[in-house]
Amino acid sequence: MSPHMLRAALCAGPIALVALNAAGAHEIVGNRFFPATLAIDDPGVNDELAFPTVAISKNGDDPSAKQLDISGEFSKRITEDFAVSFGSAWSRIYAPGGPNMTGANGFQNLDTNFKYRVFKNAEHEFVMSVGLSIEWGGSGAQDVGAERFTVYTPTLYFGKGFGDLPSSMGWARPFAITGQVGYAIPSSRSTTSADPDTGDVNTEFHPQVLVWGASLQYSLPYLKSAVVDLGLPDFFNHLIPLVEASLQTPVANTFSSGMVTTGTINPGVIWVGQYYQVGVEAMIPVNRQSGTNVGAIAQLHLFLDDIFPNSIGRPIFSDAIASGRPMFGNKP
Amino acid sequence: MSRFSVVMTMLAALLLPAAAQAHATLDHASPLVGSTVVSAPKEVVLWFTENLEPAFSSIEVHNAQGIAVQSGKAQVSGGTQLHVPLKSLPPGTYTVNWRVLSVDTHRTQGDFTFTVGK
Repeated sequence: MSPHMLRAALCAGPIALVALNAAGAHEIVGNRFFPATLAIDDPGVNDELAFPTVAISKNGDDPSAKQLDISGEFSKRITEDFAVSFGSAWSRIYAPGGPNMTGANGFQNLDTNFKYRVFKNAEHEFVMSVGLSIEWGGSGAQDVGAERFTVYTPTLYFGKGFGDLPSSMGWARPFAITGQVGYAIPSSRSTTSADPDTGDVNTEFHPQVLVWGASLQYSLPYLKSAVVDLGLPDFFNHLIPLVEASLQTPVANTFSSGMVTTGTINPGVIWVGQYYQVGVEAMIPVNRQSGTNVGAIAQLHLFLDDIFPNSIGRPIFSDAIASGRPMFGNKP
Repeated sequence: MSRFSVVMTMLAALLLPAAAQAHATLDHASPLVGSTVVSAPKEVVLWFTENLEPAFSSIEVHNAQGIAVQSGKAQVSGGTQLHVPLKSLPPGTYTVNWRVLSVDTHRTQGDFTFTVGK
């Protein structure tokens, strides 16, 4: 879940919708490689750096404004199964109405995410993690919508590959799904402000928001290494076409926000190499409140555990063999 | 942590000297993954993307009844190539299970099938 998307859902006013900082961790479970998805976080726990993530869209404000976001996230494993990540984004909002209006730019709030992998099963290509994301209120610029209150989002993540389907369904085995369900809780129920011109007092209520999303992936690397080697050009053997859905639904304290679900559907593709991956997706708003045009997002994602296996890329506290990924059999 | 610290950490991650070794993943195999071969192969050969630790890298090949059909221990050659000799294989479908440890101690595993035709 991007902080911006969550922020949009938390706002009582017009909704800005841009996917940022959704650089989840890549993960290997048995035969399956789960890439880091762009719009939602995924179940992986790893050492990695997603930088830059660049997104451009027209948000759901009325009138709609074009918004450019450049973000990064750094994730560090403390143990084999527990990681902490830090991220933020710089936003440029182009004011509607032409060059006479100046727009705004600045950093969004800093985000910290704690994630713990609770289960991993190689045979069934299944992994599940739990996490707590904290968006630190007041650490960003209010001009670009960074809130003054902190938001806590406990989240459940999962990933499931279909490699355990029978061999008669071999062509379906490269499919995988990932998903997340979180509940965003603002530290403040409302904000009261006075209009400097009229003196009117306005109260904006900050809703609690269900943050949910999923991805459906088809892994050509999996097809080649575990199902059938078609002899495709090497470039294609690194591709994972996917569709992501990143959604948020206000469910409590919704006096200002209403309960309309907002979000985007993101078709795209990820190219996976040995040390990094590159992803690009379209961002299709699910309704007017989510945006007015199809946006785009692209990301470079570095696998620090592979680039720096003996230093920054391994857990601070690890076994003698620094697998970082307990892939031999099931986890206890 | 301040934003400045985050940025510095990111830069440090990019600039630190790299001992670039990654997870060893299967690049290709002989017989080809998912293929049907006319004559029974005498060995299975796997090519990986990284150098392997021989002591912790293995191949097992089973027939449809789950009986092992390899005739020896898997050997590493050329750093990235892992091969295992096979018994004489009658027509049928065989499953190759591999587990390897790359030299930077990353573990990976996988499996695939091939068929010996009649």
